[in-house]
Amino acid sequence: MTTRMAIPLVLVALLGTVFFALFSSYTPDASLNLTASYYADQTVPETGAQNIVTAIIVTYRGLDTLGEVTVLFLTAAIVGLVLSQSKAPSAHAGAGGLPSGELLQTGARMLVPVILLFGAYVFINGHLTPGGGFQGGAIVASAMLLMLLADPAERFSHGLISKIESSAGLTYVILGLLGLLFAGGFLDNKILPLGTFGSIFSAGAIPLIYVLVGLKVGAEFSSILTSLEETEDAE
Amino acid sequence: MVNPLLILAAGLGAAFLLGLLRETSERAAFHTTVGALAVMAFVALSWTVALASGQTDPVEMLTAGAKPPFAINLRTGIAEAALTSVVTLTGLLSAFFMRRDLLRLGRRAMAVLLVLIMALSGLIMTRDLFNMFVFLELIVIATAGLVLLSKDTRALAAGFKYLVVSQVISILLLIGIIFTYHANGSLNIDDISEVPMGANGASLAMFLVLIALILELKPFPANGWALDIYESAHPGFSAIFSAASGSAALFAVYKVLAMAGPDWALLAAGIGIVTFVGANLLALAQTHDRRLLGYSSVGQIGLILLVIGFADRLGDSFLYIAGGLLVSHAIAKAGLFWLSGMVKARDLSDWAALRENPVLVVLFAVFIAMLTGLPPFPAFYAKWSFVHVLATDGAYSLMAVFLIAALIEATVLFRWFGMALKRSSGHSLHISLTGEAIALIAAALAIAVSWVWGNLSGQENLITLVPLLFALLFLPLDILPARIKNVLAIAGLVFWFAVTKNGLDPLRYVFLIIMVLGGAILLLASFHATGRRMGFYTPALLMFAGMGLLVTSETSFQFFAAWEFLTVGSYFLILRGQDSEPHALSYITFSLGGAFALLAGFAIAANGAPTFPIENLSEVPSRIAPYVFVLLAAGFLTKTAVMGLHIWLPGAHAEAETDVSPMVSGILLKAGLFGLFVLLMEMGRQELFGVDLTIVLVWLGALSAFIGAVLSAFQEDAKRLLAYSSISQMGYAVFGLALMNHLGWLLALMFAINHFVYKSMLFLAVGGVKERTHTKLMYKMGGLITLMPFTFVSVLVGIIAMSGVPPLSGFGGRWIFYNAIMSTDLRLPMILIFMAGPVGFLYLFRLIHTIFLGQLKDELRLTKEAPFWILLPQMLFVGFLLSFAILPGMILRRVDSYIGTLFGDTPLVWTGKIVDSQYGTWNPVAIWGVIATVFVVVFILLIWMNHNAQKVKQFNIVFSAERPFKPQTTHFAWNFFAPYRKAMGFLETPVATSFWSGVSNMLHGTADFTRKLYTGNGQTYAVQLLFFVIAVYLIAMGGLS
Amino acid sequence: MTLVQISLATGFALIFLGLYGALSNRNILRMIVSFTIASTGVNLVLVAVGYLPGREAPILDTIPVASAAERITDPVPQALVLTAIVIGLGVTALMLAYAYRLFRARGSLDISDFTELKW
Repeated sequence: MTTRMAIPLVLVALLGTVFFALFSSYTPDASLNLTASYYADQTVPETGAQNIVTAIIVTYRGLDTLGEVTVLFLTAAIVGLVLSQSKAPSAHAGAGGLPSGELLQTGARMLVPVILLFGAYVFINGHLTPGGGFQGGAIVASAMLLMLLADPAERFSHGLISKIESSAGLTYVILGLLGLLFAGGFLDNKILPLGTFGSIFSAGAIPLIYVLVGLKVGAEFSSILTSLEETEDAE
Repeated sequence: MVNPLLILAAGLGAAFLLGLLRETSERAAFHTTVGALAVMAFVALSWTVALASGQTDPVEMLTAGAKPPFAINLRTGIAEAALTSVVTLTGLLSAFFMRRDLLRLGRRAMAVLLVLIMALSGLIMTRDLFNMFVFLELIVIATAGLVLLSKDTRALAAGFKYLVVSQVISILLLIGIIFTYHANGSLNIDDISEVPMGANGASLAMFLVLIALILELKPFPANGWALDIYESAHPGFSAIFSAASGSAALFAVYKVLAMAGPDWALLAAGIGIVTFVGANLLALAQTHDRRLLGYSSVGQIGLILLVIGFADRLGDSFLYIAGGLLVSHAIAKAGLFWLSGMVKARDLSDWAALRENPVLVVLFAVFIAMLTGLPPFPAFYAKWSFVHVLATDGAYSLMAVFLIAALIEATVLFRWFGMALKRSSGHSLHISLTGEAIALIAAALAIAVSWVWGNLSGQENLITLVPLLFALLFLPLDILPARIKNVLAIAGLVFWFAVTKNGLDPLRYVFLIIMVLGGAILLLASFHATGRRMGFYTPALLMFAGMGLLVTSETSFQFFAAWEFLTVGSYFLILRGQDSEPHALSYITFSLGGAFALLAGFAIAANGAPTFPIENLSEVPSRIAPYVFVLLAAGFLTKTAVMGLHIWLPGAHAEAETDVSPMVSGILLKAGLFGLFVLLMEMGRQELFGVDLTIVLVWLGALSAFIGAVLSAFQEDAKRLLAYSSISQMGYAVFGLALMNHLGWLLALMFAINHFVYKSMLFLAVGGVKERTHTKLMYKMGGLITLMPFTFVSVLVGIIAMSGVPPLSGFGGRWIFYNAIMSTDLRLPMILIFMAGPVGFLYLFRLIHTIFLGQLKDELRLTKEAPFWILLPQMLFVGFLLSFAILPGMILRRVDSYIGTLFGDTPLVWTGKIVDSQYGTWNPVAIWGVIATVFVVVFILLIWMNHNAQKVKQFNIVFSAERPFKPQTTHFAWNFFAPYRKAMGFLETPVATSFWSGVSNMLHGTADFTRKLYTGNGQTYAVQLLFFVIAVYLIAMGGLS
Repeated sequence: MTLVQISLATGFALIFLGLYGALSNRNILRMIVSFTIASTGVNLVLVAVGYLPGREAPILDTIPVASAAERITDPVPQALVLTAIVIGLGVTALMLAYAYRLFRARGSLDISDFTELKW
């Protein structure tokens, strides 16, 4: 074994002793800690959301989520930036490979609306069931991926994607500011009525925010995917 | 007041908005970006102002309508507001700076910039651990994006290395966060700090969080990736990376340390000092400007981390100290990066291009001074306070390490500055009005924060000092012709003398006369200069301001600030000389080293007192007094260039301009002497390990006097000869002072006055000769007596005075000197200093003999007398010497009686113009009479004998067919004292020089060797990072258990 | 070993595997893949820490609100892990884009070929 391989091994082993100390001293809690039990008791009266994780993500830790959306936004922008700088000559664009088969294209065309619908379902119901904006957005983007794979020559309008992305993001920030003005703080969901517990129109602004997140995430993933796909052409 | 959350909302909102703008117009996108940044900066600044002036209280910002720890909360206190101001302002200015490249890359790049600034502000304000992680990751990603602004293709690799390292960091951070949450049941920073540590592996989790955040500070040596970014990124972005990202990450560490508790503070402090030392050391070996700035950034941030580690002990002054360092670092570093954007090529000496634009040179000087922590900038106050706290705590070794590293840093920066001023660059400047305006704004901010820090210092606000402002006034006035400025400068000095002279004791009065009035007289020679003479008057007046303030200073702070002013001013002056670059560097290095010794001495003496009057030096407890004495004496002896610490002097004095040499020799050296006067007056005799320190000083003085004289005799360069002679003369003065008796002090004072007069005179005379002959080498001159009669007279009078033969004032000095040494029982140094007298004759003889007597060189046949303005002060000095010789009492008597009050004796009895001592009588008038008679008799005799003298023609010497090896070897004046050299040449072995160059080579060697650590391989960097983590872990666990 | 311990151990093992891979493979793509393995490990550790033995997911469709505190697992790590996953994904996408550019610039994916900046 060369030193090049050995040194990382030794280091990782040493790091292992650090983590082992964490591991061996770890005992799971018997009951919920202070923060978690607050969420267990107060989520419903305060936010009206059935899914506590969603309430935490969208409301209590809403700033994290805004940051998270921004991470994707940033990544999409930078990936676009990185790849746009090394675009190949346009003569090659779209000329990659053989056209895909009839079967594949038809299948994709049939599946895409269903996937989109499913994605929308997941992010609209985020406050009630497992799932939410990120998951829904990822599903929406997978529809795009399918289309790209089925027909590599397909082009999506960067402008449209970017418009959806930007307006969703902007609305998100504005909703947050409305919370500052009309409710208890930035990103407070009580700017809208909490509604009946367990129904679609409940939990204040949570469904609205999750729809925005879903759109935004979908758009961002699509934008990353198309950016990456366009470089594929350049090969 | 608007909610500070608007800073985040504005940044994000604008970033999203950019996508909705019409695609065709990137200009609109740029305006939106700048507008949003301006709003963010405005909000941050308005909170800073409101909080600083006490109009509002710190504000807690809740989100989601729930209380922490259940929802994320943020805070804006004074520290947060100030830091967000730094961040947003840097972002705003850099956005303007990067305008062209932002427009080139389009709105996506602008959005990334906005998000970066937003995330940095968020990192500062948030009080939630996991939220910190989110902002940190945003910063990482945005950084990796903005690195691409650079046109340097290597930036791509740098960005990737940064991502690799960030991945490792985020793994550590996440694991740390989740286990901290598990142990505490909360992610809120304030909550966690209330729960005691220790249980459930919580301290390990805390370690991971802490080390991950510290890694973001690029600690030495796990920081190769950061340096690569500094080297290759767009300078506008590097400014953000250094000033804004550095500040935000530091604050994050501060928050986590406050949460982790005092056990971890020591660890952070340790990493901080290692980083500060390591980075500055490695910077020594850098020739790439941006990489050098990167090292310097890393070092500065390490320093602030050290201060953060000491937060507990600093108490109330923590924010003041850390803030002072941070704001200085941020402004100066951003400013330097912006400047680097205007310099085309990347070698340090390519900054010579800045000289095309004097404004940029001034800005460069401002930023360098700010970074070094020179007055009146905030870092100066911060360093002052920090060293005082360290001294009060007894952390002497840390203080020493800190000061040495700070000295290395100053050397690195001033070496660079020297290159920029003296080298030449093959590239022209990349002139950009926007860039220049932005750098100017940074300088204006520098002055503003200097004022704030001065105001809060509890000491004098240095930036409001009239002499300093007067010196700075000459910056805008530099467009005027030199003569007008000279009139103004002289008027200013005379005015300052008139204003401050009242109420001083006679001793200080004498020094004030020498330093301020003497300066005015020497400035007469500057009328010789034609044109504008840019960049002469500000440093000169800065130096005089320092000296004027030094004499009138009452507290240790005033004294030290004045000392730094005069050091910096004289450095800039010396740097003006033609070949002075290396000499100016060694001058500033030694001077700052001396200044740091003073700082340490004062800090130890103050022992926690906020202001320390100089006169309290006499009340320093005897436990620490000897150490204070040693440190202060070392500082002052560096300035008087005592043997061993003298190697800077010959070059600095010899290479300076004609009218600068007398200033730095005749006047500046007296600052050290003045310090020694004050020191000995207040502290008296001190003993360390049973050794009487004043006896050490006696020896040092005697050795300097003797060896200085010997070395002087062997010089070929007339100005160097005079420079070494100064070492010898200062040796006499130190010797006299250290005798600690009445006559000794009178002797020292006599030497102070005499040395000023005749050394100024001789330097001007030799300078005048140099102006005409364009050489300083004596064997290239000769026979100038008929061509430059006035200069000859002044040299003649000067050397008569200096050698101490009757009738001139030097004799008075000797007379007191003999009296003084008779009254002491230190025989050996007495003999040594006695011997220095005859050696003095040797070099003085050479000066007049080789330059003015002998054969006139062919090429010097058309030499004219020295210019009028250079002669004028010489003639004034001649007049003064003659009258001082007849009437020494006009000054000495007052001082004598004052010294009498200090020692309580009257060894001299003044009756009319006659002085009596235990050993004899000195009647100046009678001596004059005798000498005049003898002179006239001999003169008549000579004229009478001259009629049958035979004239020797220049070329009737033949070298019997011998071809000279070197032309100068055929000149009789070359190696004039060869026989003596055989006898005493061993003294010439450059022991001190080789010692100091050994130190310097060792440092450079270490730096060059150590930096090989940074192989440039991203993977190696990640390995080093993990290695660092594990090493720190082992040390920490060893320390904690 | 309990469920929690198994998942913790698996998580840590993935982290070590990933880190070792990232530090010993010179190929940039392999490094990126290694890092995704490591971050999967981190995510696993994250959710494992929030798990309370014998409890249910924190969704109150079947669990009555009153007894929620006794029956659900800790929801906080689940919220955190979502954020961590998304961030990890972002960084991975970015690294891939960088890798593409690096390859275009030099025609190599060996990390040791990108060392012009050093010392």
